[in-house]
Amino acid sequence: MTTTPRPVDGASGAPAIELRSLVKSFPARRGSQDAEVRAVDGIDLRIEPGEVVAFLGPNGAGKTTTLDMVLGLTEPTSGTAKVFGRRPREAVVGGQVSAVLQTGGLLRDLTVRETVRMIASTYAVHSPVDEVIDRAGLRSLADRRVSKCSGGEQQRLRFALALLPDPRLLVLDEPTAGMDVTARRDFWDTMHADASAGRTVVFATHYLEEADAFADRIVLVAGGRIVADGTTAEIRSQASGRTVSATLPPGSVAESVARLRTVDGVHQVEERGSRVLVTAGDSDAVARLLLLELGGTDLEIVTAGLEQAFMTLTGDGRDTHDTGGARATRDATTHDEELVR
Amino acid sequence: MNATFTLLEMRRITRDWAGMFFTAVLPAFFYLIFGATVDAKDATIGNGNVAMYVMISMAAYGAVTATTSIGGNAAVERQQGWGRQLGLTPLADSSYIAMKALIAMTVAAVPILLTFALGAATGARGSARAWVLSAALCLVGSAVFAVYGLLVGTAFRSEAAVGAASGTMVIFAFLGNVFIPLSGALLAFAKFTPLYGYAALARYPLTEGYLPDGSQDPLWLPIVNVLAWLAIFGTAAVFLVRRGRERQ
Repeated sequence: MTTTPRPVDGASGAPAIELRSLVKSFPARRGSQDAEVRAVDGIDLRIEPGEVVAFLGPNGAGKTTTLDMVLGLTEPTSGTAKVFGRRPREAVVGGQVSAVLQTGGLLRDLTVRETVRMIASTYAVHSPVDEVIDRAGLRSLADRRVSKCSGGEQQRLRFALALLPDPRLLVLDEPTAGMDVTARRDFWDTMHADASAGRTVVFATHYLEEADAFADRIVLVAGGRIVADGTTAEIRSQASGRTVSATLPPGSVAESVARLRTVDGVHQVEERGSRVLVTAGDSDAVARLLLLELGGTDLEIVTAGLEQAFMTLTGDGRDTHDTGGARATRDATTHDEELVR
Repeated sequence: MNATFTLLEMRRITRDWAGMFFTAVLPAFFYLIFGATVDAKDATIGNGNVAMYVMISMAAYGAVTATTSIGGNAAVERQQGWGRQLGLTPLADSSYIAMKALIAMTVAAVPILLTFALGAATGARGSARAWVLSAALCLVGSAVFAVYGLLVGTAFRSEAAVGAASGTMVIFAFLGNVFIPLSGALLAFAKFTPLYGYAALARYPLTEGYLPDGSQDPLWLPIVNVLAWLAIFGTAAVFLVRRGRERQ
């Protein structure tokens, strides 16, 4: 079954998502010193129709809160969110956007088919129930109670529900959180099969490999702000380029470090005893300088992985799969410590 | 109103046989103990007898227990994320509340029918008009407490909300002149409590406003009580349901 592209309507010139100076703050918990928590702290973003975009960031970065505002589930404290040029709730009512939510609940005592029928009944126009069940790979489970379905099966059910309005924009918030490796692969296989037909897809994740494998564009979020935005390759180079390291002759280290810091494109120079670590965009020039002029030996060049870029840009050195929900710190001191580590 | 959604919800709720048993059978049991078997059951009140008076009171209690519990369960479902799922659909808050109220009233009809049937079999007496109108008022008025259940459940946001909402019904029933006849200052206070107006209105076709202590309520009193509490519950419920859509 293929997805028929929707006819171009009057609003089709508008971006799929347009966020302007978006801010959402919550009252702080009792006992906290802060007056409020800024979950989203000024986000500007434009996503064009047809883009597949990953919202990448550590837990607590503000991904879910941002997507909630895109879906009209939460009102911004200030700023605006537009979906296809309309207010989010209007886009939801019009069936132009739907979502698979991280915390979207299901009724445990309904069957899979009953759940799809129930949600389908809220739309004036929707894809046929059985077709949606097939596309989400749920045919053999259609008469099973939701409470008897595994986490991955429940997630496929949420996906089926999201397909009902045949939305132009599909939002997925941590769609594979809590799934094992096989279930995650199955879920993305289903997604690839269905959502590649010209649909705009925005998904939040803290799995780097998912962002890398599925998205054309990565929006890196930390501390409620966008810290990087571009293709996977751009994010990598924007973060740190390559790291060149070499051992320098005794006595010349301080002088060499000072010299290296003056070179264009060098982001950072670190000393570790007689060894220097240089992070730079143009690693060849740095290598040449180290070997030919500064007497360096044991030279190594390492390309920054997406993971390193992620940690550098988000200032978050913790395990990126951590589920503690801690906020990414934007404290400058901590940021430097993370880089040294 | 969305027929498919409503019927699927109805089927789901009535699958819970244990819950249905308590909702439907407990008030009927109360009637047998406090109405059908007491010495004063044949004493006259209004155009009927005390057994009829107790029967209507218990049917009203059963109906509001059903509607409160359904409202409370709706709140728990929302708390578990179903509200966010529904927030992604065109379904409006007002439609959701209206559908839940309709389901709650349908379930509420069960204890009313059962208690009235038992009353007919055990000597409850009143005018034909009183039988029909009282049953209808029990049913229609119980909708107010579907909203109340939703309100309490949404405010407490836990499975315990359902129990809490049903538990408060017992208290309101005592305070509202439903279980035992009140008098004096307590009766004066009772007239401001949520169940008073509903129960008094349901009994009005029988009692014509007369109370067991011999005093009489004007018709506007229970009507104003019901409308005031409906306004209070309704406003608070809409506010809390909107807030509940946001992630915690």
